[in-house]
Amino acid sequence: MSDNTKKWFSLRLNSKKKQSTGSCSCGNTSGGCGSHSKDQISDQEFDAAVDAAIGDERKKDGFDQVFDVKMDRRTAFRKLTASLVIGAGAVSTSCNLTSGEESKEKAQIDWEEQFKGNYKLMTDDEKKATVDRLVRSYQLRKGQNISMSSKNAEKDVLFGYAFNISKCQGYMDCVSACVEENNQDRNSQMQYIRIHEMKDGKGLKFDEADDNYYHEVPAEGHFYMGTQCFHCDNPPCVEVCPVQATWREEDGLVVVDYDWCVGCRYCMAACPYDGRRFNWSTPEVPENEINKNQHYLGNRMRKKGVMEKCTFCVQRSRAGKNPACVEACPTGARIFGNLLDPNSTIRWVLNNKKVFRLKEDLGTEPKFWYFMD
Amino acid sequence: MNRYNNIHILICILLVSTLFFSCKHGEDEYHSITDKIEAKSKDYHGTSISSEQYLEGVKTIEITEGDHTFLIPERKSQIKSYACAECHSKPLHEMQHTDESKKAHWDIKLAHADQNTMNCITCHNGDDMNDLKSLTGTTIDFNRSYKLCSQCHNKQFDDWKGGAHGKKLAGWAPPRASMTCVNCHNPHKPSFETKWPARYNTQKVKERE
Amino acid sequence: MKRLKVFKSLVRDSIDTTTQGSKKYHLWMALLTFVMLIGMYCYSLQLEHGLSVTGMTDRVSWGLYISNFTFLVGVAAAAVMLVMPTYVLKDIDFKQAVLIGEGLAVAALIMCLAFVVADMGGPSVLWHMIPGIGVFNFPNSMLTWDVIVLNGYLFINITIPFYILFRRYQGKVPNPKVYVPGAILSVFWAVGIHLVTAFLYQGLQARPFWNNALLGPRFLASAFAAGPALIILVLAIIRTFTEFKIEDKTIKKIGMIVTVAAQINLIMLVSELFKEFYAPTHHSESAYYLFFGLHGKTALLPWIWTAIPLNVLATILLTFGKLRNNLKVLYFCCFILFIAIWIEKGFGLIVPGFIPGPYGKISEYMPTGIEIGVTLGIWALGAFVFTILAKTAIKIETGKLRFKTK
Repeated sequence: MSDNTKKWFSLRLNSKKKQSTGSCSCGNTSGGCGSHSKDQISDQEFDAAVDAAIGDERKKDGFDQVFDVKMDRRTAFRKLTASLVIGAGAVSTSCNLTSGEESKEKAQIDWEEQFKGNYKLMTDDEKKATVDRLVRSYQLRKGQNISMSSKNAEKDVLFGYAFNISKCQGYMDCVSACVEENNQDRNSQMQYIRIHEMKDGKGLKFDEADDNYYHEVPAEGHFYMGTQCFHCDNPPCVEVCPVQATWREEDGLVVVDYDWCVGCRYCMAACPYDGRRFNWSTPEVPENEINKNQHYLGNRMRKKGVMEKCTFCVQRSRAGKNPACVEACPTGARIFGNLLDPNSTIRWVLNNKKVFRLKEDLGTEPKFWYFMD
Repeated sequence: MNRYNNIHILICILLVSTLFFSCKHGEDEYHSITDKIEAKSKDYHGTSISSEQYLEGVKTIEITEGDHTFLIPERKSQIKSYACAECHSKPLHEMQHTDESKKAHWDIKLAHADQNTMNCITCHNGDDMNDLKSLTGTTIDFNRSYKLCSQCHNKQFDDWKGGAHGKKLAGWAPPRASMTCVNCHNPHKPSFETKWPARYNTQKVKERE
Repeated sequence: MKRLKVFKSLVRDSIDTTTQGSKKYHLWMALLTFVMLIGMYCYSLQLEHGLSVTGMTDRVSWGLYISNFTFLVGVAAAAVMLVMPTYVLKDIDFKQAVLIGEGLAVAALIMCLAFVVADMGGPSVLWHMIPGIGVFNFPNSMLTWDVIVLNGYLFINITIPFYILFRRYQGKVPNPKVYVPGAILSVFWAVGIHLVTAFLYQGLQARPFWNNALLGPRFLASAFAAGPALIILVLAIIRTFTEFKIEDKTIKKIGMIVTVAAQINLIMLVSELFKEFYAPTHHSESAYYLFFGLHGKTALLPWIWTAIPLNVLATILLTFGKLRNNLKVLYFCCFILFIAIWIEKGFGLIVPGFIPGPYGKISEYMPTGIEIGVTLGIWALGAFVFTILAKTAIKIETGKLRFKTK
């Protein structure tokens, strides 16, 4: 068991010669073999981690020894990818030999985050565990506590939205509230809502409308109309996603699992309503502006290269509140509610006003209606 | 060539069967969203989500108008100088023109309809300032001031009752608590003003150019 | 065991073959490596900063990468034009060309996959797409169909030539019973990959420019023009630089294929233009933008007005047998046709699909330097792969590379 019988490459960053572990029968020269790792010093753990990232020859994944991760799922795949980018990233985190429990935990969280499953397919316990992990991760990284919900859709709820064109004055308080509520990237000024300024007497001419105005409103001879994700009942974006990273929940919300999304942007091409947004770079929100009341499917922090969209503020709506845009609107142009409740105000609007939806001929069945006084 | 034909047929069958199995069959067979809403709300028994917690600390009163029963915020405790009779101890015409009395409400300018239609006493009762009065002189409580507005704005009143006009007080979930007219509109100057938008409505600043 | 030995020797021999060559060959490979390195550097920048280094935005969310991907699927599919007559109809003329064609298909497919990966926002989580450990939204998402057919096609196009070359390497004759069924399958498959790729766009009701029934057939027609055109050019190069004999007859026959496909493509183009401009609806806005510009936004005009005249000129020249049979004219036509279709089916198809946007908003797209760098790198990768494949294949086919039994 000397170094010259070694068949794989291992980094030797520490000049200190390792004591030979004679009783070890696993064939490792530089790393611990599992039974030893716990009571030996950190440079051995480090070597084991490096080895795992470099070679597959070992029978056991080095990360097992280092992090004591349970190998219940995707074992084979983890071994295969141990040498890949993320593995290397996790190793580099664990290389800070000040290490301690915290960085170890951080690395383990990263590792589990990288290989967690699709939220849609998780059991309630798994959802809870994922959310707890994310909360803990945030605590480790930023030293601050957030609350994150994994609340499921409630029975007998189907969310719907109505927009009163006569009332909207183009103040854009909704846009502002939405950005603050949903932790959208401030750099690219991402906004879920667009307010279109249209000329009176031209009808709904979206192509001649200005969705980019900045002047005193309401402007003479203009009316305003807001668009956002319409949470279609037959959403084309969901249909086309190759990995089911986006889906329609039981309560009608069309949501995205940001961590499952691969960033192909097919859903963006499929959406007829310009409802989806992409994180072209890492989203940035100043720490003191972060909304810490979060939901896994809603306003938690996103990464670069994933899709996001309006969720009718799932973190609010599933708790009985109105979405931020509805609450912020000073004119009452926005109405939100449960479509299945015959006594709800949204139902009254649908039954008593002359409502219409955009591009109804596409068969997407948006749950977002427009009406006029 | 016979064998090729067989292969051909086989491939065709495969293709057709994949197409068949891949045909979309929606999980629910409703023809449209309105059908779905109608069908699914037939056996609606309420949800466990409530917005009651968000009403804590807000004084509300329950009103019933037509088929609609809902909460609106209580008004009197929100008016700083209520009860009015503390100053308005005498009827209004007696208080006017007395020079030694302090001027009050001097900053109120009525910008509501025109002079021919409305002045102060269209709504206020000069003889009893603690209450409002309707056009025909019946007393209207300050808490139910919407009754005053609804005399002219009956269309808005209908929309408000149903929920198409105005805002909710707490959340979408029951119990329904709606803001009343004066929560958004200043009765002396009810229309909204022009102002600058809350922010740029743009995805990127460069797109503006 | 013996097969493994032969395989080992083949690998060793092919490495020898590909690392040895004339000065020109080395220069060519060095150039490709250099471009690839540039591409990798650009890609590393993209990985670090995200796709914001490209010209794509929320309004135009696919660009140069997906354009090239679409075009190259067509090139890959075109290998079938050579496979069909060779294996099935026993047309001896094409036999030499077919290995080159399949090599080209493999290179094109590798480029396709590379372009798709380059376009991804999260390449590190691409395993989400692997059935079993990830979630594969089959059959609902056309993209999953595309993944299946592309990888399947890649597999077919690697195994068939490999089998043939492996037999030849040992000095044996390939057994048609083994490779002919595979060849027939690949014929269907090639049509499949291109139709499925067309369906990727065709199935989006959100984008009226793509959502037309002619898109699929037009994809096929343009692919069967551009692909064989590229094969002709490659054969011409191979003819001049190696001892691999390719008869004029073969090239002229492929030229015939290019001609017919280009003619059909032109007819479909006319039909499409007629529909868009004779009775324009608001769905024709994208076409207006592409050909004439909208509201002063004219970024695509130089591209499309290069492509259309080149396309028409090439098709007209090719239509006349006398001109077509003149190899110099044929090469020229193939070159301009290739360029024309690359523009038309890449840039001219993908970008206007997003312009104007769902609400009529026009914001234009221009690729950035980094995007172009990655694209060039991937093209260099394709050329590199193809050169290696072709060099080995030619050596085996000409009998210079044989397994030596010790």
